Amino acid sequence: MIALAALPVILATLLIGARGVATLRSTSDFLVASRRISPTLNAAAVSGEYLSAASFLGVAGLVVKNGVGALWYPVGFTAGYLLMLVLVAAPMRRTGALTVPDFAEARLGSPRLRRFSALVVLVIAGLYLVPQFTAAGQVLTVVGGTPYWVGVVVAGASVAITLALGGMRAATYVQAFQFVLKLVLFIVPAVWLLLAVGADTRREALHPAEYSRFPAATEVQFRLDTRLEVGEPITVLADGVPRTLGPGEHVAPEDGRWVFPAGGRVPEIRGVALPGSELWQRPLLDNGSGHPLLATWSVLVATALGTMGLPHVIVRFHTNPDGRAARRTAAITVGLLGTFYLFPAVYGLLGGILLPELYLSGATDTAVVALPSRVDGGVAGTVFTALLTAGAFAAFLATSLGLVLALAGAVAHDLLPGGLRRLRVSAIVAAAVVVPLALLAVRIDVGAVVTSAFAVAASTFCPLLVLGIWWRRLTPRGAFVGMTVGLLSSAGVMGTSLVLRPEPGLTALLLGQPALWSVPLAFLTMVLVSLADDPPPGAESTMLRLHLDETRTP
Amino acid sequence: MSRLRRVTVTSPQTAVVLTARRGGIAVPPPRLTESERERAERIRRTQLRWAAVSLSGGAALLVGLPGLLHVAPVLLAVRVADVPVAWLAVAVLPYPFLALLAWWQLRRAEQTER
Repeated sequence: MIALAALPVILATLLIGARGVATLRSTSDFLVASRRISPTLNAAAVSGEYLSAASFLGVAGLVVKNGVGALWYPVGFTAGYLLMLVLVAAPMRRTGALTVPDFAEARLGSPRLRRFSALVVLVIAGLYLVPQFTAAGQVLTVVGGTPYWVGVVVAGASVAITLALGGMRAATYVQAFQFVLKLVLFIVPAVWLLLAVGADTRREALHPAEYSRFPAATEVQFRLDTRLEVGEPITVLADGVPRTLGPGEHVAPEDGRWVFPAGGRVPEIRGVALPGSELWQRPLLDNGSGHPLLATWSVLVATALGTMGLPHVIVRFHTNPDGRAARRTAAITVGLLGTFYLFPAVYGLLGGILLPELYLSGATDTAVVALPSRVDGGVAGTVFTALLTAGAFAAFLATSLGLVLALAGAVAHDLLPGGLRRLRVSAIVAAAVVVPLALLAVRIDVGAVVTSAFAVAASTFCPLLVLGIWWRRLTPRGAFVGMTVGLLSSAGVMGTSLVLRPEPGLTALLLGQPALWSVPLAFLTMVLVSLADDPPPGAESTMLRLHLDETRTP
Repeated sequence: MSRLRRVTVTSPQTAVVLTARRGGIAVPPPRLTESERERAERIRRTQLRWAAVSLSGGAALLVGLPGLLHVAPVLLAVRVADVPVAWLAVAVLPYPFLALLAWWQLRRAEQTER
């Protein structure tokens, strides 16, 4: 029944989307709402779009799984808008380009570069979109017991319909509405949780004890095949059958339902910190690499520099009337996001002590929606679970709307230029392609996959935008080679490490989170190749024009 | 709805490029006048200077703070209102800092263009 909480969100989305239909007449309406959105409304829409499942559920889940250090993720997400404000917002808006590939062609005059950029958009949007749909499926499974595919298909269908009807004009209102919705649906339950758990639990959350022994008989449903390192012999009920595990390594099968006895020693999982342990409490990200500082920096580089390269974020700034308004939008967004991100810590810390068994099952992404019923088994718990479910659904919808729009734009505007009709069809096709992918991707970690999308964006579009806006000597060949190197060293290397599965350590860190070296490498390549090349004629005027405020230009 | 002003369907740059592509002729890129060029050059230089200041602030947070937490684990033992200082440094401190930096940068950037 709780799953029905998502219904009002979907209905409101469709209604507001339908309202946009009346005014939708051109490609420009569809992609950038004809550039008439005010900075504050747009900042709310940017934040609404940006606060995805990764922020609403993923960060708190990562705190349960990796410890307090996971709170660096939202810092990077927010800092991304500071960099956007400083380096990109106003000049990018003044290019008049509708999409990043459009910018590439406007600045460097190369159609080949435009098509290549459009392909990069497809990679980034795909990496970002699939986990959103996955999270939708998982959340509905946890709170409503519906099969995984229901949530995925419902999310996909409502996104495709809203977009095909209303385009960006609809998306702007939908997302601004959803920002407010998400803010309220995240903060109110957080405050209620803090009050409802009582002083003892609050104190416990600030002085967490290591989750070393099961306080009561604990049932764990493993989401994946999980390698457990058992320290003391322990007898578990594996799918109802008693089984004694000796010291050493044991594999719990995917979907296995094991009941651990009260007082038994909690098995460890290599590379993952036990909730409440000293490692867990340390405010740096380790991910089992043994190099916490490098791991933290790598995540920060990817998230802070990747934000400006996310195709669905960039296109939002074009809905502002001019460069100055785009800059204000970025500045307001830093404040709005900062407000929201004060709260994942509440869910993460409470989850660490109230739901530590998620560490074993791997379903940490569900910590936020699972907390209320753990704290209060009565009506209040149910109500707040419903509210959080609605908020989580708003999170998937808003982000997916922007991403499907960016995907549709890349196909219908940059790869195969066509009219509004083709854009609408592309939006539906994009959703239709992503839904089956998400159905296959049931096992992924939402926060981790989203971060890989940031790493790709930081290694490709970030150098293109920063050098394209501030450096007159950038050439099409330099941009092309630099982006290729960036794409291979981010997406290529991460893909390779998925196949090779290196042992946790420095190598695994550098392969799995390559941003720390792939971003400088992409910048360096772009600069060196450009220096060996001649800039296209008129490149200097094109670049300088980006810095002229529009009030002074005729 | 008729009181809403309608704007061009395609961006100016895209229009130029598309025309050139369809007509098969090279369209010269838009030129700046001498005074515009000087002004743009001046603005760009000043903006770069302010950007450098803001970026240093951002780097201090993103590079410096993790470094500090790494070398000073004692911050985990020091508590303010029962919350470890090291946790506050990650969970709370960055947001007002980023908001202040953004506000400062916005004012500088707008003054440069005045």
